[in-house]
Amino acid sequence: MASLITCPHCGTRPKEEFSIRGAALARPHPAASEEDWHAYVYLRENPKGRYQEYWHHAAGCRRWLIVDRDNVTHDVFSVTDAASIREPSE
Amino acid sequence: MSLTLYHRHVLEDYLAGFEAKANPNHLSVIRRPAIFSVLAHRGNEASVKQALNSIEGALLHDCAPGEWLVVSTASGAAVVENLLGEITGASAIDQSDGRVLLRISGPNVRKILAKCVAVDLHPDAFSIGASANMLCCHVAANLARTGAEAFEIIVPRSFAGSVFEEMMEMGREFALTAAFAEW
Ligand SMILES: [Zn+2]
Repeated sequence: MASLITCPHCGTRPKEEFSIRGAALARPHPAASEEDWHAYVYLRENPKGRYQEYWHHAAGCRRWLIVDRDNVTHDVFSVTDAASIREPSE
Repeated sequence: MSLTLYHRHVLEDYLAGFEAKANPNHLSVIRRPAIFSVLAHRGNEASVKQALNSIEGALLHDCAPGEWLVVSTASGAAVVENLLGEITGASAIDQSDGRVLLRISGPNVRKILAKCVAVDLHPDAFSIGASANMLCCHVAANLARTGAEAFEIIVPRSFAGSVFEEMMEMGREFALTAAFAEW
């Protein structure tokens, strides 16, 4: 099965160009509780189905992307630059 | 005691003594290109790109949003460095010693590159002037189309030997030859 990801900057590329860096979770507020930070750093849902992950386009534009895909069927719903969804409060 | 530094190309041992008369499919290894990595500061992407495009004799390779490789075989690195220093809102760093510039051309160039990169190089998808970072022979490289049957490839110096050998192997069925070129 070809595993192709369409990078918003580089176009359609094979998965070998990317490094998958885990679930794209919202980062807690710096003053959030220790439990929240523990959950953010260590705890993962590992769902079967639709899933948002960070993919680093290591051999291409070297941008961090968020790939929204189904990890059972490998349907890719969207690929966006992670910087484009950065919270405006930053 | 004075120290004399000689320029010795990283592919010297791969090519010395093997240089042949160029066949239609030919790979040129450019001896001393000036290669600079340029990053635009946030918000200056469009103006920096415009300024880079106006540098005479330099070719712009796209890497990522706001990031380019500026390649010149006409001017030396010192000249290009001065020109880049005049651009506001950009940071440039000399990569001339860290990258190797290869030029491959010929009637079968796309068939050869089809075995090296996983990107569609049909002119409709990758037209003349297009360029991008991609894996080439398993190495993160930058590939640019300079003509209908001509491409430029920039690879990190330490991987150049591996990429060169693999490309020559992929080109063997098309009698690909290789030699150094000044520009
Ligand atoms: Zn990319």
